[in-house]
Amino acid sequence: MPEIILKNVTKRFGKFAAVENLNLVIENNAFITVLGPSGCGKTTTLRMVAGLETPTDGTISIDGTVVFDADKGINLAPNKRDVGFLFQNYALWPHMTVYQNIAFGLENLKWDKKRIRARVDELLALLKIEEFEGRYPSELSGGQQQRVAIARTLAPGPKVLFMDEPLSNLDAKLRMEMRTELKRLHRDTDSTFVYVTHDQLEAMTLSTRVCIMEKGILQQYAPPLEMYNNPANRFVADFMGNPTMNFIDGSLGADGTLRFGSLKARFQPESGTMPAAGDVTVGIRPEYIDIEEDGPLEAEIYSTLPSGMETTVKMHTGGMPLTAVVFGDVDYAVDSKVRFSIHKLGILFDKKTGMNLGRGSLEEPANA
Amino acid sequence: MNISRMKGKVRAWFSKPANVILLVFLILLTVLTLYPLITMLLETVTVHLGREARLAKLPVGSKTLFHFARLFATSENKYSWITFYQPLLNTLAVSVSASAIAILFGGTVAFLVTRTNLKYKKFVSAVFTFPYIMPSWTLALFWETFFKNVMIGPKTSNGIMASVFGIYMPEWFVYGGFPIALVLGLHYAPFAYILIGGILRNMDANLEEAATILKTSRMRIIRKITLPIVRPAMLSTFLLVFASSMSAYSVPVFLGSPVRYYVLSTTMKSLMDSYKGQAYIVVAVMILFGVGILLLNQAVTNSRKQFTTVTGKSGQISKINLGKANRPIALLLVLILLLVAVVPLITFALESVIIKAGDYSLSNMTLDFWIGKDTTQWLDQGDSTGILLNPKVWSALGNSLGLAVTCSVVAGTCGILVGYGVSKRRGSKLASWVNNLSFFPYLMPSLAFGAIYLAMASGIPWLGGFLLMALAGSIKYLPFASRSGVNAMLQLSAEIEEAALITGVPWWKRMIRVIFPIQKSSFLSGYLLPMVSCMRELSLFVLIVPTSNWLLTTMLMQYSEKGWAQFGNAINLLIIIVVLIVNFTVNKLTGASIDKGVGG
Repeated sequence: MPEIILKNVTKRFGKFAAVENLNLVIENNAFITVLGPSGCGKTTTLRMVAGLETPTDGTISIDGTVVFDADKGINLAPNKRDVGFLFQNYALWPHMTVYQNIAFGLENLKWDKKRIRARVDELLALLKIEEFEGRYPSELSGGQQQRVAIARTLAPGPKVLFMDEPLSNLDAKLRMEMRTELKRLHRDTDSTFVYVTHDQLEAMTLSTRVCIMEKGILQQYAPPLEMYNNPANRFVADFMGNPTMNFIDGSLGADGTLRFGSLKARFQPESGTMPAAGDVTVGIRPEYIDIEEDGPLEAEIYSTLPSGMETTVKMHTGGMPLTAVVFGDVDYAVDSKVRFSIHKLGILFDKKTGMNLGRGSLEEPANA
Repeated sequence: MNISRMKGKVRAWFSKPANVILLVFLILLTVLTLYPLITMLLETVTVHLGREARLAKLPVGSKTLFHFARLFATSENKYSWITFYQPLLNTLAVSVSASAIAILFGGTVAFLVTRTNLKYKKFVSAVFTFPYIMPSWTLALFWETFFKNVMIGPKTSNGIMASVFGIYMPEWFVYGGFPIALVLGLHYAPFAYILIGGILRNMDANLEEAATILKTSRMRIIRKITLPIVRPAMLSTFLLVFASSMSAYSVPVFLGSPVRYYVLSTTMKSLMDSYKGQAYIVVAVMILFGVGILLLNQAVTNSRKQFTTVTGKSGQISKINLGKANRPIALLLVLILLLVAVVPLITFALESVIIKAGDYSLSNMTLDFWIGKDTTQWLDQGDSTGILLNPKVWSALGNSLGLAVTCSVVAGTCGILVGYGVSKRRGSKLASWVNNLSFFPYLMPSLAFGAIYLAMASGIPWLGGFLLMALAGSIKYLPFASRSGVNAMLQLSAEIEEAALITGVPWWKRMIRVIFPIQKSSFLSGYLLPMVSCMRELSLFVLIVPTSNWLLTTMLMQYSEKGWAQFGNAINLLIIIVVLIVNFTVNKLTGASIDKGVGG
């Protein structure tokens, strides 16, 4: 049974529409990330579902209960929605100890003392922060504060857990560690997670489905790998993946002849139906470009960025920049000539609208 | 839009405590500030009983513009010049000079304390706010009793300067514009110290270090980097001190009236007795200036946004080494502070024990005015016992404390609520209306505020005495409390409250268990400032007090008027000591301090 349903949800601040006509179904037990650049409406969306913000229009239901309906005038208070919320800056209460922070919500639900003690102990153990029980937030490191914030949010056992960029204040190493923990936590707690982030890697690695937004409008809602391999439009393709996809403007002929930048190839659509001829943008993932001695194409090295496990190679072919990723640690001399091939799929986008026209292989590529 | 949709919107709006609070305060403050204002404006065109009606030759209660013509355009006997234009010019001159003195003195000390290796810093920063905590007439009274002599002014008796040192100061030094501006400037210098010092202390050291790296000289850094950054704070100080000086009443009464040097507030008081209509016009003019200043201040604080990056977190800045000048500067500063903050207290103590004025020999001293059973041997009239044995003094002290506590509780609590509402709905029209309305009482001269409330209450039989004073005091001091309330709430991220909201903590519990404890010291400052101000308030209550020995301050006024100098000085000292004790006890116990409520 679907857990959270958003129908035509809109939020306007004055004339500015932060979220426009959003429709979304979040399944039970899912781990959803809402992804997008800053100011795209993702946090507003999260806050509306949690009840911290009132939508201008639309309906929201959680687990079959309508929690907001603009037409019927229904608007349930956040605490009646049985949700948890993890804030970007943790929002730990500085005048309460770790124990008091976690227990405060439970006292409020009128749990008896023994039960509170047991529940807090359970959470302290789950998040491995037992030894900090008596400390105040200011006496904890960022990562420890984060764990306390998670424990406090989980304490009442919410069915749905909302997280607003909870890892953005941590250093890279700790962030990686907390990602692992969150994914584990999702399995252990058996609840639905809705996670807001602007970090595409976080969305890729954590979630069961990604909801990507731009300027208040939903761009695509799909499992992360599907989104990576078959993005709905150029914006999504550009946002997912690091280093970013190569975009080369060109044109497609009716017979499938593709001219793009300084290259040409024959487009073989995966679906079998050739898109209509016209101006297109060809998208090629950097990892689909192979630098090999007998490759059919030639390029000039612009610079190489080795990171140990892989190396990003920036090169120019016929004056046109291209990015490739090579596994392992390779170094090329600047301005040296290399040969390369495009071994996998390319995606065609409509040059004007940016919509995905279809995936296909680029046969017999050659320098034009 | 259908009806259930409307209902839902209305319900959603009212389900937010911030909205309800703002609405309640909008109505309340409109009634309690705008209504009196309108009442007052009506008074300016109404003919009042007595001399006014005879002069205007119009029936009492009829509407007329006669008062305006009389006050602004009567050349006969230079009436308008003497009653309005000259006092207006005096007011402007005094207020501008006072602001300049406050900024120069307070700003310099703030700079020395935050930016140099000055000696005795602790003493300086501890004593510097004294003059503001003490009643403003303290310094004025001290100035007069210290420098007066039989050659000038009312020519009553010699002060310490003349009788002990034999130096007779000229009149312009003892009475008139110069001492008024100086005393007000010194009294409000803590404003400058707090506002400018706050910026200097929080200023990102990198800003100056970056200039140092670029081989800029020290003086040039101060001139080109530091000063421009504190300029908005200097302007804010200027406007605040200007507004406060303009409505000051007791200082010009003590230092101006003896030589017929009048400012708007003192003219207003004397007009109030027989020419109410004109008195209210003077009030209106003062309020007009106040509103102008408020608007200017807002423009200044808005443009201040460009400096928000100033609150940096980088470390200690290298302090300017004062070198050989350090000790002389420090000693001079300590000397000035002793003169301003400590010597007055000693003077009052002295004046309260001498029997015959002007004679400071030990044989002329007695403690009878404090603890004597019978003082009629020294004073031909007056209360027969020393003030500490006088039950009237104790009951007045009780009343003063009771009133101060009531005003502080009401104003402080309202200040927190206003702060909550305004910060939650920041940017909305409703919030900025309530914010401005809550600051408005600051612009009303205390004396006029009291007069207006008296006029307003005359039609309401149950509103009078303690209740009326408590109401007037609470509203008058709301600006202090709401300032610190708004500042405290703005520092608190919204997430802190939302984290509690989401677990279903009801609103009142969020306020008491989460918000209040975190910003405890700021909120308590919002209680402390009204309390301290109320304890030493005279002009606000002088018209609405039931009998003049009901409050300590009005009792002091009464004794001064009757010429019982010893009793007056003793009570004055008593008030100052109580205020200082209250301030420092609260400060030590809770960490609240008046710094946090000033300005903003």
